This record gives sequence, C-alpha cells and structure tokens, in this order.
Amino acid sequence: MRGSYFEEIVLGDVHETPGMTITSAHVAIYLGITRELAAEASAVPDLLPLCLTTGLSWRVAKPTPVVLAFMGFDWEVLRAVRVGDTIMARARFVTKRAMREAGVLVEEREVVDQRGEVVQRGRLTYLVAKRAKEASV
Amino acid sequence: MADLRRYFDDIELGEEYVSPGRTVTEADVVIFAGLSGDYNVLHTDAEFMKQSIFGERIAHGLLGLAIQAGLFTRATQAYATLAFVGLRWKFKGPIKIGDTIRLRAKVIGKKETSKPDRGLVTVQRTVLNQRDEVVQEGETDLMVELRPRP
Repeated sequence: MRGSYFEEIVLGDVHETPGMTITSAHVAIYLGITRELAAEASAVPDLLPLCLTTGLSWRVAKPTPVVLAFMGFDWEVLRAVRVGDTIMARARFVTKRAMREAGVLVEEREVVDQRGEVVQRGRLTYLVAKRAKEASV
Repeated sequence: MADLRRYFDDIELGEEYVSPGRTVTEADVVIFAGLSGDYNVLHTDAEFMKQSIFGERIAHGLLGLAIQAGLFTRATQAYATLAFVGLRWKFKGPIKIGDTIRLRAKVIGKKETSKPDRGLVTVQRTVLNQRDEVVQEGETDLMVELRPRP
C-alpha cells in the first residue's frame, strides 16, 4: 500500500490503532537501548508507550502519510502505565500547512489504556511529501 | 542506605550538566524498529535512502529522544522524581548510523505546586552530534519531591 501525499490527507477523521499489551520484555529491551534506570520492576518507562503507538499507527487500515521528517511534538503524561496494561492510540490530523516543497501536518494523538483512560496525549508535527516530490524523495 | 537522590530543594536554577557521548549504531536502529514497530523506510531501507535528502538511513527521532533520556541519568545524580509530566521537543537534524550524540542540559524553571511535598522542575535539553550540531532540543517537566521535613 502506498502512503498518502500531503494533498490527499483528510483532516478530522479519528483513527484507532490495534492494542498492544506492554510486557516486561518490551521494558527490558527499551531499557537496554536507552540505559534509563527503571524506577521499579512493574513501571513502564514514560516514553515507551509513545514509541509503541508510533508503530501501532502503521497498522491502521488507511494509507499512512509519506513522512519526510518528524519535526517535533508536545506531549503530556497524565497517568503511569504498568507492565500488563494494554494500550492503543486514537489519533486524527488537525491542521495542514502547504509549503513550496512539502507540507506541514499536525496530528493529535491520545494513548488510551484497557480501562479507556487517556494515559498520555499530545500534538505531533510532520513534514509530509507533496505528490510531485515523489521522484526526488 | 543513604538517600543520594536530589530533592527539589537541592536543585538550583541554572545548573548545567553534560553527558558522556553515545554512538548510535545500526543495531540500535534495528532493535528500535523491532520494538516500536516503526519500519518506515527512513530507518530500514538503505537502498531507498541513498536517493533521499539524507543519503542514508537515519535513526528514529524517538530513538534519539529515548537515548538522551538515558544520557540524562548518566549526566547527573538522580532527582527524587515522582513523575515525568511532559515535554516540548523539536527534531532539528538527522541522527545517522555511527553518529555520536551527547546531551547538554540546564535547569531553567522551578515552580512550587499546590501540593506541599513536590515541585515542578523544567530542564532545557540540547542533543548534539560529534560535529557539535544540534540534532534535537526541547524542554522536559519533572515533578520532584521536596526534601522530607523531620
């Protein structure tokens, strides 16, 4: 499936990802790469749910934007996530700004746990390819 | 055991830390793709990326962010952190496989809260590569315990 170019992206539609149960294996691998210190055995590092939802977003049955670069994001951590919790993401594209060579796209994303509570949320900004750019990307 | 963590009272506005360096390897990128499920061609297709503006695969932005979080713990004695509250972050340039990054951090805010046992500490963070180029930067907010009163 090819990705969506800037011109094709629709604002406002809410997309929900499949769920992912966070295991102690996820935490061990994450801590192995980052060498963050684990606060306690069952605590999930704060940035790990965000990292997992980025992969989950690729599993939604819709074309994913052709991202040239992840530009930045603002993020809030509302509740602790524990090993054994199952998270999913709920996201929608909220603004688009065309530039000469590409476009800036803003996504609002919530990370929701198995109780339906929003545990983390924020706004993420991407640089997305325009259709004509395909050959040079 | 002595409590070596630094409390809100101990942390001074303007304090600065510099972390050791950390070389980001191909293994880091492959493991992070497997862990996160983010197999975007930016990070996984060497041939495709030869034609891109970067000329080669780049590390996931969130991998750089996660690595700097670890570098922070190696740059200074641990805070008595109760919670990570949030962040504002910008990805300024690519981290390529083989680049060595380090973190420069500075305490830019200290705010008391409505609860008497904790305060909010804002740390400005700059991630630099081996050429001293800023690849990521932002601010993080941490809720830190006040020193317990006897």
